[in-house]
Amino acid sequence: MSDVVLKTENLEKVYTLGKRKINALSDVNLQVNRGDFISIMGPSGSGKTTLLNMLGCLDKPTNGKVILGGVDVTKVSEKSLYKFRKYKIGFMFQTFNLLPYLSAIENVELPMEGTKKSKSERRKRAHELLEIVGLSAREEHKPLRLSAGEQQRVAIARALANNPAMLLADEPTGNLDVKTMFEIVRLLGKLNVTQRTTIVMVTHDGHVASRAGRILFLSDGKLLKRERKGTHLLKGDLACPNCRKPIQPDHMFCPNCGKKL
Amino acid sequence: MYVKVNHLGALSRAVRNVSRRKMRAFLVIIALGFSMAIMISIPAGIMSNQEATQSLSENYNNTISEMQEEINKTSTLIEISASRQGMFFGTPSGMPSFGSQQGEAFINETVVDEIRTIESVKDIVPFLTESSAETTSETINTPRGSFTMSRPVYTITGVCLNSIFIGEYSILPANTTITDGRNLREGDSGVLIMSLNLSEYYSYSVGDKVMVYGKYFTVVGIYDSTARTVYMNITDAQTVTGNTGNVSRLDVYAKDTSYVDDIAEVIEAAYPELYVTTYEDRLERLASTQEMYETTLATAESTLSQTQTVAFQEILIAIVATSLIVLFMMLYTVRERTKEIGILKAIGFSNWNVMSQFMLEGILLSLMAGVVGAVIGIVGAPVISSLLLPSANLFSTQQGGSSGFSRQTINFGTALSQSVTATADLQTLLLGFGAVVLLGAIGSLYPAWRASRTSPMEALRYE
Repeated sequence: MSDVVLKTENLEKVYTLGKRKINALSDVNLQVNRGDFISIMGPSGSGKTTLLNMLGCLDKPTNGKVILGGVDVTKVSEKSLYKFRKYKIGFMFQTFNLLPYLSAIENVELPMEGTKKSKSERRKRAHELLEIVGLSAREEHKPLRLSAGEQQRVAIARALANNPAMLLADEPTGNLDVKTMFEIVRLLGKLNVTQRTTIVMVTHDGHVASRAGRILFLSDGKLLKRERKGTHLLKGDLACPNCRKPIQPDHMFCPNCGKKL
Repeated sequence: MYVKVNHLGALSRAVRNVSRRKMRAFLVIIALGFSMAIMISIPAGIMSNQEATQSLSENYNNTISEMQEEINKTSTLIEISASRQGMFFGTPSGMPSFGSQQGEAFINETVVDEIRTIESVKDIVPFLTESSAETTSETINTPRGSFTMSRPVYTITGVCLNSIFIGEYSILPANTTITDGRNLREGDSGVLIMSLNLSEYYSYSVGDKVMVYGKYFTVVGIYDSTARTVYMNITDAQTVTGNTGNVSRLDVYAKDTSYVDDIAEVIEAAYPELYVTTYEDRLERLASTQEMYETTLATAESTLSQTQTVAFQEILIAIVATSLIVLFMMLYTVRERTKEIGILKAIGFSNWNVMSQFMLEGILLSLMAGVVGAVIGIVGAPVISSLLLPSANLFSTQQGGSSGFSRQTINFGTALSQSVTATADLQTLLLGFGAVVLLGAIGSLYPAWRASRTSPMEALRYE
C-alpha cells in the first residue's frame, strides 16, 4: 500500500473578477505522505485557504490534478465528491463550525450519519474520540456552553469521526488565545504521533506552523522551494530547536533550556 | 462506499430546528392552519349549499307532482270560496303562503241548497276553516332576506262527517296517517283529531280534553302531519266559532267532467261575489306555481354557481398562499442557515442528505399545520364558510310545515327555516390535511433543492 495520501500536480486556480484574472494558485506540486504533519505558512491572501479547499474537495482547480487515494478528484462529479469529503478527509476550521443546536457528542456523530455504523457504534466511536481530545466530561454540552478551545477539540473529534486519510486544518488556532492555541497544536501533534493521523494545517502564525513536522511556504499562490523542518518530529524523535535536547510532544517549554517551544 | 439517508437523525434535527425558532414556527403553522381550514371549510360550505338546493329542488318537484296528481284526481271538482285566499290550493313545502289565513270570508249555507238544484251536480261538500286567536311569530329566511311573520297557532277545519263524503272525497286525513287513536267518523260530535305537530306543541294526547274557543273537545285521534290543524264536525266548528249557518268553502262535484264548465258558469252568474275554481283553473294555477318554483330554483342554482366560482377562487388563493408561505419561509431558513449547509457538505453530507433535511423541516411544519388546520376547520367551518361565501346562507333549507298539498288542510304555509351549517366531514379533513402536507412539500422543494446545490466553499464563507 502506497504511503502517498495526497498529491497535487501543477495545481492552478484562477479567479476572474470582471475582466481581471487573479491567479490564486499557480503550479502547486505537493505530496502528503501517510503520517505527515505539514503546516503551510503564508501571509493573508497567499492562497492558503484556496489550496486547502482544493485538497479538501470543497473547490475544484482551474487546472492541474488533486490525487487523493489514487483518484484524481478534479475529475469526480460534484454529486460524488461528498464521498471523498466524508470518508477521506476530516476538516477543521478557524471558527470551529459546530452545529449550535447539537451537543458535543452529536456534533461528533454527525459525519458518521449515513455510514454502515449503527447508532450504538456511532455513539461508541464519538465517546472514544471525545476521550482522546479530553472532553469526556462535556459530551452533552452544547457548543455555546463550551470554551473556544473545547469547541475546537470537539471539531477535531468530529473531523476524525470517519477515520479519514487526512485531517485538514484551516487556521485551527486563529480564534484561540495563546495558551489554548498551543494546547490545540499539541493535541494535533499528539494525534499525529499516537494515532498516526496525517495532518495538513494552514496558518499564518509562525509559532503554530513550527510545531509541524514539515513547514511549507506559500507566497502569491506559489509554493516556495524552501521547506523547513518543524520542532515536531515523528516517531518520538522530538528535539528542542534551540538546544537540540529531547522533548515530549506535550511540552510547552523546553525542560532543558527553558525556552518556549 | 456505503451511503444512505439517515432519516431518524435528519428528523431529529428537523424537530430541533423547528422548535428552536418557536415564534416563526408558530406563525407559519397558524398561517398554514388557516389556509387548510379555508380549504376544508369552503368545500363543506359548498356541499351544504348543494344539498340545500338539491333538497329545495326535490321538495318542489314532489310538491308539483303531488299537486298534479291531486288535480288529476279531482277533475270533476268545482271549488267555491268566499275569498281568494281561502281557495289557495294548499301551499307546497318551502313556499310560504303569506297571510293566507287572514280575513276569512264565509258563504251562507243557503247557497248549498241553491247549488244543489243545478242539474248535473253530484255532491256538495262544505268546509269551515277558522284560525285560532292565539298567534306565534316565526322568522322566515328567503333569498331576499329574513323577516318575521305572525301566524295563528292552529286552524280549525270543520268537515261534514257524512260517510259517503268521508269515503269518496278524502275530506279527512288518510287513515294511514293516524298515529294514535282513531279518525273522525259519521256522527262524531264534541270530539276532534289533531296533527302530531300540534299535539306535541301542546303536549296533548288521545283522551285529553282540550278547550277550543271556550268549549271542551275530546281528542280522539292524532294524525301524522307537520301542519297545526284540528278536524271536527262542521256543526261543532260552526257553533264554537260563532259561524252557525256559514261555511268557508264548498266543493261541488259534477256528475261528469263534461258538466264542470256549465256548472261553473251557472254558479259564477248567480254568485258573482264568489270565487269559482275548476280543473282548468287549477291546472293554470299549477303552471304559474311551477313557473314561480322554477324561477326560485334558477335563482338558487345561479347563486350556487356564483358561490362555487368564488369558492374555487378562494381555494386557489389558499393553495397558492400555502405554497408561498412555505416557499418564502423555507427560502429564508435556507438563507439563514447557509453556513450550516456549508458545514454539512464539508463533513460529507450529500446533496440529497441536505435536500431531505430541509424537505423534512417543511413537511414537519406542514404536518403540524395540518393538525392545527383540522382543529380550526372542525370548529370554525361554519363561520369561515359563511364569512368567505357570503351567499352561503341565503338559501336556507325551508322545511315544509304542512303536508304540502292537501285540499283538506288550509295550509299555514309553514316554512320553518333552518340555516345551512357547513361541517367538514372526515373525507374533506383528510383531503385538506393531505393537501397542506403536499403543498408544504412542494413549497419546500425549491428551497431544499437550492440548499443542496449550494457550494460548500461559498456557504462556509457566508456570515
